[in-house]
Amino acid sequence: MPVKFDYLVRETTSNLGRNVTITLASIMTVAVSLALVGASLMLRSGVENATKRWQGGIEFVVFLRTDATQQQIDSLQNDLDQSPEVAKAVFVDQQQAYSEFKTLFADSPELIDSVTAKDLPPSFRIEPENKDVDAVESLGLTFEGRSGVDQVVFASKTIRLIQQLSSRLTVGIFVIAAFLLGAAGLLILNTIRMAMFARRREIEVMKLVGATNWFIRVPFMLEGLVQGLIGAFVAIGALAAFKPFFQKWLPSAQDIPLVGGFQVSGSEMTVIFITLGIVGIAIGAIGAGIAVSRFLDV
Amino acid sequence: MRVAGVAPILGPARLASWGFSPAERPLIMITLENVTKTYKNSTVALRDANVEIAKGEFVFLVGASGSGKSTFIRLLNKEETPEQGHIYVAGKDIGRLSGWKVPYLRRNIGCIFQDFKLLPTKTVFENVAFALEVIGRPRSVIDSQVPAILDLVGLGHKSDSFPTELSGGEQQRVSVARAFVNRPLILLADEPTGNLDPATSVGIMKLLDRINKTGTTVVMATHDRGIVDTMRRRVIEIDRGSIVRDQARGVYE
Repeated sequence: MPVKFDYLVRETTSNLGRNVTITLASIMTVAVSLALVGASLMLRSGVENATKRWQGGIEFVVFLRTDATQQQIDSLQNDLDQSPEVAKAVFVDQQQAYSEFKTLFADSPELIDSVTAKDLPPSFRIEPENKDVDAVESLGLTFEGRSGVDQVVFASKTIRLIQQLSSRLTVGIFVIAAFLLGAAGLLILNTIRMAMFARRREIEVMKLVGATNWFIRVPFMLEGLVQGLIGAFVAIGALAAFKPFFQKWLPSAQDIPLVGGFQVSGSEMTVIFITLGIVGIAIGAIGAGIAVSRFLDV
Repeated sequence: MRVAGVAPILGPARLASWGFSPAERPLIMITLENVTKTYKNSTVALRDANVEIAKGEFVFLVGASGSGKSTFIRLLNKEETPEQGHIYVAGKDIGRLSGWKVPYLRRNIGCIFQDFKLLPTKTVFENVAFALEVIGRPRSVIDSQVPAILDLVGLGHKSDSFPTELSGGEQQRVSVARAFVNRPLILLADEPTGNLDPATSVGIMKLLDRINKTGTTVVMATHDRGIVDTMRRRVIEIDRGSIVRDQARGVYE
């Protein structure tokens, strides 16, 4: 119905225009809270990428020689499976190592081009039963010097510290963001309540002449949705704009090798941005939905 | 009497849209069956009311302030629901009408009030058009129906004025136009002349009489003795919630 469509556009825009300051306040609150959520999600995936091989209790990695024979691999696999001190041993072949390498260095295609799967060592990632530092080290060293083994690398304290810090930071930021999102929802709820109050005569007449409940509700619902969505766009824009600056502040990869892996790939950014968009829309819809059902007696 | 631009009120298509087969054509438009309405502060607004109003009737509701006239009107378009009893409008038990269907009931009932309830930011044309717009009528229908109804109420020349630029009588004419533009089966009027001087009131009553003659059932709550005594239509008197008199061609007292 053409009438209905221009009606919706007209009503929604005029409502948004009527309470400019409060609308701006709710949009900004949504934007700030979503920017925080997005930043912490980016931080988390950066840390995850940089410390990929140390996820899930992995304490040391046995790197094999690139020319290790299948027989050597099988025998090592067998020993690891038998050992009571090993909780879990995951074999990473050259192909898997290469695909990890590609995500890690997604921003440096020339590096990816210069490396093939054959240049990367296969490895065993090992989660020991006993996580005590000395026990881990003595277990790891028993594999050093076996035929086919190149070297054994242990998770450093720095890595553990970074992982811990990032997970605590993420939790902290999420708590703050949750409060801000709550505030944003309440602000949206109030904006819409005011919009309904400003239009109470029209709503009364609409009910009187038999406008359907959804016809009355939808412009207000849309108003909340638009506020949430604009907030999300502002947050996404801010994150996209600030990402390069943030990467400039990081110490160079030459000084700290770990930083080289601190990357957020384009596809991860897309997922984060879509998440922010959905959360923004949800906050707007929830705030508006509550306002409409509580204050619009239709 | 023939009214320009007014379609037959109860055509088969209209009845079908309202859920009737043509065979079920209702002759009784409004029925109240043992209806009792009590408000939260335990005021009894209506006590065991039994009323039947036929299609095309013109009924005055009279009684002191707070006797229950407004409640009677509000029950008919389901702004209020009764504690006990059944209310049938055009043969349908509106107590059984689910919430989302109430708007469709109201499209068949026009309402006018003492305070007009016009939107001050809209012109006369827009106020009337609004009633069609919000029930999804296409622009072409609006553009043909609204001028016709404004001519009917005698305000064709004021369609671009705002309500504040009109006299009280003219404002009430706009509100009648808005109530009638969708050709309702029933017109409910709650003290429509309460804010108007006697001469202007006569004009509004002539308009309501014309609308009634097209077959629309009119129920009007009023305090206006002069109007009731002049018109000599059916009078229902309510006293503290009870119907104490129901008289054809009645007078105020």
